Amino acid sequence: MRIIRIAVEGARALTANKLRSFFMMAGTMTGIAALTVIMSAGEGTEQKVMQRMETFGTRAIMVTAGGGKGFSPPQEGVTTLTLSDADAIRNIVPEAEAISPAAVKHRMPVKAGDSQTQAAVFAAEPDWHEAWDWYVRDGEPVSSEDVATLARVVVLGSSTARDLFGERNPIGEYVQIGAVRFRVKGMLESRGTSPMGTDMDNRCIIPLTTGMRRLFNQDHISYVRIRLKDSRDLIPVGERIRELLRERHHITPPKEDDFSIVTASNIAAMVRGVSGTLTILLGALAGLSLIVGGVVLMNILLISVSERKREIGLRRAVGASRRDILVQFLTESLTVSILGMSAGCLLGMGLCLALMRLTPLPLSLSWEPVALGVAFASLVGTFFGIQPARKAAQLNPVEALR
Amino acid sequence: MIELNDIEKTYDGGSVSTPVLKGISFRVEKGEYVAIMGTSGTGKSTLMNIIGCLDKPTGGRYRLDNTDVVNLDDAALSRLRNRKLGFVFQQFNLLDRTTALKNVLLPLLYTDPYPADAAARAERSLKAVSLADRMQYKPGELSGGQQQRVAIARALITDPEVILADEPTGNLDRRSGLEVLAIFKRLHRDGRTIILVSHDQAVAEHADRIVILKDGRIAEDSRVKQPRDADAELASLAGEEKNQ
Repeated sequence: MRIIRIAVEGARALTANKLRSFFMMAGTMTGIAALTVIMSAGEGTEQKVMQRMETFGTRAIMVTAGGGKGFSPPQEGVTTLTLSDADAIRNIVPEAEAISPAAVKHRMPVKAGDSQTQAAVFAAEPDWHEAWDWYVRDGEPVSSEDVATLARVVVLGSSTARDLFGERNPIGEYVQIGAVRFRVKGMLESRGTSPMGTDMDNRCIIPLTTGMRRLFNQDHISYVRIRLKDSRDLIPVGERIRELLRERHHITPPKEDDFSIVTASNIAAMVRGVSGTLTILLGALAGLSLIVGGVVLMNILLISVSERKREIGLRRAVGASRRDILVQFLTESLTVSILGMSAGCLLGMGLCLALMRLTPLPLSLSWEPVALGVAFASLVGTFFGIQPARKAAQLNPVEALR
Repeated sequence: MIELNDIEKTYDGGSVSTPVLKGISFRVEKGEYVAIMGTSGTGKSTLMNIIGCLDKPTGGRYRLDNTDVVNLDDAALSRLRNRKLGFVFQQFNLLDRTTALKNVLLPLLYTDPYPADAAARAERSLKAVSLADRMQYKPGELSGGQQQRVAIARALITDPEVILADEPTGNLDRRSGLEVLAIFKRLHRDGRTIILVSHDQAVAEHADRIVILKDGRIAEDSRVKQPRDADAELASLAGEEKNQ
């Protein structure tokens, strides 16, 4: 077909002047490469968000002692959150599947025989397992009876168990936490490392009462974790709890909360926060570089049209219509854009792979930048190609041949 | 074949309009070999461009092969140039970095449908100008005379009825010029219509008929009693060179 023959002719013109062709595609190439990296970074962040939310629990609310913004571990010095707060929460949140108040010490010495380690100690009720969706692998969990009788029993995380007992089965053995001896009654499932980088399996779970009276000797708790049936209730329930606690703690404006409430959606917003804005900003920059690339492309094409006047005139003389010339030059700019796009995609992917290797940045390759690149490159190629192609087509053959 | 009727061409340069052709009428029959002569600025090239359908007259009528050309649109004019006309320019106008063969094939790019025997045709055209052995050469690797012959082969590939040559020998030495004129003579003998523009009496006298333009009008239109014979002149030129 004629249009295909002429399109091929247009594409072939690019091989005639390779350096010029390279400059024509350089802008598109860098723009798309940048876009690929930025979108991969965005995608990677999003995956990190999802991962964080999964770890945190997509239906969970954490009420922790101590105010301040952000998701931080409970502040150990703050004594304002109490068990009766937890009971009050229980009364106003019928949507909850599980509510688990707990007292926590993040580092306590734990001994067994000659072995010694440091572990986080969680004093909790049986609901803890459900609230965290985290169950006992071997042996028994902490029971209501254990809580009622202040039993000195412990469920160990797998890292703590390994540190203390090696490969031996720890169930039935005794460990000493602080100055108190506990009988090991169960082992937790392994959870690995948290997104923050802490070993989630280095922990001991003991009955809440035992922890508060016998070990920590305190009346306050560190947090209450609530797991809802439906994630859509997260925000209203969170607000309800906030109001309840402000009232119970006699906090009136302008005083700040002495507790913080964190939900899965807070976490997502926090992780996204900075990187989201950055992604948009950098994306805009990459888009801008694409447009600059387009302008460069247009200028080179315009120059090339002037340089090739004679060729255009000749083609017109031997039978090319205006449309043929238009098609030829438009194919030239489109081809150069699409080549630039392909090169940019490859370059961007290469950069992503290198960054993934060399830096801890969360990156994730996906097809979206490629799709966006194709769309954008065709748009740039057409938009910035049309003007020079028009100019070429409108050339008066007589003047072009002169 | 070609019928010009009171053709006028005025260039409109804002406040000043310059008339270049002021009513040109003449006919060229099929198979004629006509030279258009005149000093520079008399409108030879303008007339040629109008005959070549590259330019439109501002007045008058032009019929090419019984088609009224003046009212045709760009696509139709392009088709006409492609099918019926073959151009030979003073500056050859070959594409650089492109082989002789591909240069010759260029007009077929715009021919619908694309002929199945394109390569054979190109070869035939190049043979007709004695350049069958230079097919893969690029313009830079050919002499001026050879380049002009490639350009003639290019004009021939669509098998046009009319060859339009604008100062075809203007950039060539005497021998190459005569070679080109010898090819024209052969084409003429084969029945092709040839219109040649030149300011040079010696070149024009190779044609059968000379139309002289003066100041945008036809000053003279006469038959050449004894057209010059390019082949004979080439032979005597060879003889002269031998004697030297």
